[in-house]
Amino acid sequence: MTFHACSHEPDILVAASGGRELSAAFEAHLASCPSCREQVDAVTFLRGLADTPDAPHQLPDPAVIWWKAQLLRRWQAERTAAAPIERMRWVELAAGFASLAVFLAWQWEGLVGLVANVIPAGIAAASAAPRSISPMAVVLLAGATASIGALVLTALHRRLGSS
Amino acid sequence: MVEQAATLDAEDVGAQEADAGARAELLNESEFQDLYRLNARPLWAYLYRLTGNAADADDLLQEAFCRMLAAPLAVRDEGELRAYLFRVATNAATDLWRRGGRGKRREEPLTDATAGPAQDRGNAALKQDMARTFRDLKPQERMMLWLAHVEGTGHREIAEALGVKAASVPVLLFRARRKLAGLLRKKGYGPGERS
Repeated sequence: MTFHACSHEPDILVAASGGRELSAAFEAHLASCPSCREQVDAVTFLRGLADTPDAPHQLPDPAVIWWKAQLLRRWQAERTAAAPIERMRWVELAAGFASLAVFLAWQWEGLVGLVANVIPAGIAAASAAPRSISPMAVVLLAGATASIGALVLTALHRRLGSS
Repeated sequence: MVEQAATLDAEDVGAQEADAGARAELLNESEFQDLYRLNARPLWAYLYRLTGNAADADDLLQEAFCRMLAAPLAVRDEGELRAYLFRVATNAATDLWRRGGRGKRREEPLTDATAGPAQDRGNAALKQDMARTFRDLKPQERMMLWLAHVEGTGHREIAEALGVKAASVPVLLFRARRKLAGLLRKKGYGPGERS
C-alpha cells in the first residue's frame, strides 16, 4: 500500500476530527476525491464510536489504586536498597572461592604430605603395594571436597538470600 | 491486582525516572485524585475500546495509574499529564498483548443499560457492530486512530507512545484510516451512507 495523500487531506481531517461541519468547498472536494472521502469516513466513524455512551461501569476505586501505588513504591524502594547487599553476597562467595584456590596453590605440597601422613599405617600397608598416594588421587579428593563445599555454600547463600 | 502492579519492573521505573528529569516529584494524593477524576473515564473508554473487555480495561487503568504514581514526574500541566497517562496506559496495553493476555478474556457484548424496553434494539446492535468493526483493526491501529482522532494527540506523542518513528505516524495513520474505511464499506457503512 502506497502513501498518496491528497493535498487537501490535512485540512479536511482537522475539520472532521474537530466534529465541525465541513465547508461547502470541502464537501465539493469530497465528492470528487475518493481518498479524502474514505479518510473522512474513518474519522467520522471514530467520532461516532467515541460519542457512543458506554454501558454504566463502576470504575476502580481511586483509594485502592493510591494504596497499591504506595505499596509498589515501597517494594521498589526496598529492592533498590537491597540491590548492593545482594551484589555483595556474590562478591563474598567469589572471594571465598578465590581464597580457597590461592590457599590450595600455596600450600599444595604441605597438604599432600599431610594427607599422606594422616592415612594410618595399617591402611597404607593393607592397600596392595607400599606405594605413596598418587597426586591424581589427592587432586580428585580436593576437587570433590571443593565441589561439595561449593554446593553447600550455594545452598546456604540461596537460603540466606531468600530469607 | 497487586500481583499485576508488581509486574512493573525496575527498568520501567528507571526509564520513567530518567524521562522525568532531576526536578521530578511524585504526585501527592490530592493531585492524584484530581487527575483520576478528570481522566479515569476517558482513559477507561479508550482501554475498553482497545481490549473489548471491561475487566482488562479496569486492570490496565489501575496499572497505568500505579505506574504513573510510582515514578517522579517533572510535568504538572494538566494536558501533559493526560498525554503522559495515555502513553503509560498504551504501554501497559502493549505489554498485555506481548504477554499474550489478549484472548484470555472474551470480548464482552456491549450492553446498553440506558436503553428502555421500548427503545430500539437496532441501536444497541449498531453500537455493537461499530465496536466490533473497530476491533477488527490491529491493536496498534486502534491505539493510533483513537489517540489521533478522539484524544487529539499529536504525531510526536503518538510516536513516543507506540515506539515508532514520528515521521512514519502520518503514513501509518493514513493506512489505518484507509483500512477502517475498507471495513466500513464491507459492513455497509460506506460512502453515501455517511450521516
